[in-house]
Amino acid sequence: MRANIATERPTLLIVDDEAQILSALKRALRCEGYEIVAVESAAAALRILDERRVDAILSDHKMPGMSGVQLLARAAEMRPNAVRMLITGWTEEISPKRLQKVGICALVTKPWDDAKLKATLRQVLGAAQTPSRQAGGSNIPDRSSDYSLRR
Amino acid sequence: MKRAGAEVQIIVVRPAESTAADPTSALRRLGSGARVEILHSAAACRARCRDGSVDLVVAEAALGSECWKLLEGLGSEGPPVVVVNRDGSEYAALEAFKRGAADCVVAGEEFADVLPVVALEQIQRWRAARDQGVAERRIRDLESYNQNIIQNLNSALLVVDLDGRVVFSNPPAEEILGESAEALRGRPIWPWFAGIPRDEIHVARTLETGERFKGYESTLTRADGTVVPIGISSAPVSDGAGNKLGAVAVFSDLTEIKLLQRKVLQTEKMASIGQLAAGVAHEINNPMGFIHANLFQMAEYLTDLQRVWDEVGALQAAVAEGEPVDIRRRSESLAALSKDLNVSFVLSDFAKAIRESQEGSERIRHIVNDLRDFSHRDSEHPVLADVNQFLDSTAGIVWPMMKHLVVLEKEYRDLPRVHCYPMQLQQVFMNLLVNAYQAIEQRIGDSGEAGTIWLRTEPRAGGVAIVVKDTGVGIAAENLDRIFDPFFTTKKVGMGTGLGLSTCFNIIERHGGSLVAESEPGVGTVFTVWLPGADAGGGED
Repeated sequence: MRANIATERPTLLIVDDEAQILSALKRALRCEGYEIVAVESAAAALRILDERRVDAILSDHKMPGMSGVQLLARAAEMRPNAVRMLITGWTEEISPKRLQKVGICALVTKPWDDAKLKATLRQVLGAAQTPSRQAGGSNIPDRSSDYSLRR
Repeated sequence: MKRAGAEVQIIVVRPAESTAADPTSALRRLGSGARVEILHSAAACRARCRDGSVDLVVAEAALGSECWKLLEGLGSEGPPVVVVNRDGSEYAALEAFKRGAADCVVAGEEFADVLPVVALEQIQRWRAARDQGVAERRIRDLESYNQNIIQNLNSALLVVDLDGRVVFSNPPAEEILGESAEALRGRPIWPWFAGIPRDEIHVARTLETGERFKGYESTLTRADGTVVPIGISSAPVSDGAGNKLGAVAVFSDLTEIKLLQRKVLQTEKMASIGQLAAGVAHEINNPMGFIHANLFQMAEYLTDLQRVWDEVGALQAAVAEGEPVDIRRRSESLAALSKDLNVSFVLSDFAKAIRESQEGSERIRHIVNDLRDFSHRDSEHPVLADVNQFLDSTAGIVWPMMKHLVVLEKEYRDLPRVHCYPMQLQQVFMNLLVNAYQAIEQRIGDSGEAGTIWLRTEPRAGGVAIVVKDTGVGIAAENLDRIFDPFFTTKKVGMGTGLGLSTCFNIIERHGGSLVAESEPGVGTVFTVWLPGADAGGGED
């Protein structure tokens, strides 16, 4: 059934307090086959996490009310299986230790590179869900070709 | 008979076995203040006179060669020597005078009456001469002492007469003016103050009204036209009787200090800009991020639309040829492609991407403009300006770095315009805003709460008041007195220069205004800037 196929698409939750960033990200990932849920605040993101299954979260860091790192820490408790990624132009304030503690697997810097972002998502979502998905692609891409963090 | 008032020390030198009448009893008639000592040799007497306490030596000619030795030994510097000539021989008297004796007394019948008179006269003459010598030496010492001070003074010193002509100069004055002492003497000082109205030249006012000035800033124009910034003090000079003689001016070259001041100002500004850079980079990164991504996507949309346009071309060609089967096939193919590529979505999203990118680039343009304004060097002269305007543009620059933690409440009232250096004031506002933000950040940290900064302006006391209030950590009472001191900081090493608030204070002081801080630890801090209005002192404009 078509509905089943639709639900099998990985769900990607995007969080950024700027609408234009959300729409540019949606635009870039339009043809990647994800079900994209875009929200403008951490509070709205927490509601989504509470309501439904989410496979990956890509969140901005500097947001009013709650920072991206705080949101992802909550998400780790609520949806431990969801892959957590941060997208920010403000990297110097977050210590790598803290990122590791929250369990972030990718750090995307603004302005981002579309191809690298797509590669990162394919890589981390592939790893988190079905490793066999990317039959043709290399399993461990070059460090410069995506944003994923490795231990 | 007159007596020597103060204690008098007299030495009598006579042969040990002299049988002649002792002069001592005659000298006792000078009174109890006269102390007489008897010695028997020239050497002993010379030794005794060395400390300068002896007022008179009475020597008996009967000593013979010992007497001449004594006279020669004491010389002109020593006390006067009166020779007592027993037999009254002219030869002995002549020898005595030749060798420097002050007087000669014959030991005759009137000896006891004559000796005290002669002794007294000699003592008085000797003392007067000695006192005058001391006074002269004192004056000489004092003069060289003063000379030493004046010559070695770091500051320049000029003494001028009532017409403003140089009477005296010291080496630093000669150095600053670039002239020798000889060239300066007698020169009127006015050309060095060319371009300054007479009633604003401190020395001129001192000469005219007797006013004293301490530590005022002014300028000197050298003969070669170079202008030197100076700090000057001046005071009237008068003689002991109170008659005006002229004025003394002490001044120093402020060129280096002025340079340093400018450097500190610029350094502090650069440090502030560094602080800002991270915030601004973030604020530019966001629009850059989506513009960048949108451009890629628009390129893909264009490729899609090109494919559709190619299909349209093929359809047109088919229509031109008029084969109904071909036309239908091309038409179906175009419809299928349009559906496949979701052309209606692509067209509307393309437009949306352009619109959003335009907004983004507009935002970047705005940020860059604000920043460019801010990094400009200030104008040389104060301008008439509306404080609200650049308070708001400063808030605009700083806002991005704090908006995730801070709610900004603005309340601007209409203000009278003020004479100011806008960039310097912007620097003050930025420092106060960044401090407020950091105080809030320190207080709420990662708690997810928000702080508030109030920005308020209002006309006050003939000028304008700018109030920056925050809900930050506050300042401990013991630190509140020190926050305007240079290099005082409670921030971690490398986080603050400790110059921010002291620079603010100096800038506001230079504007003739005031900067006051009130704080309650745990509650927040209020900084109030007051600036005098352009027509302060005059009526309403």
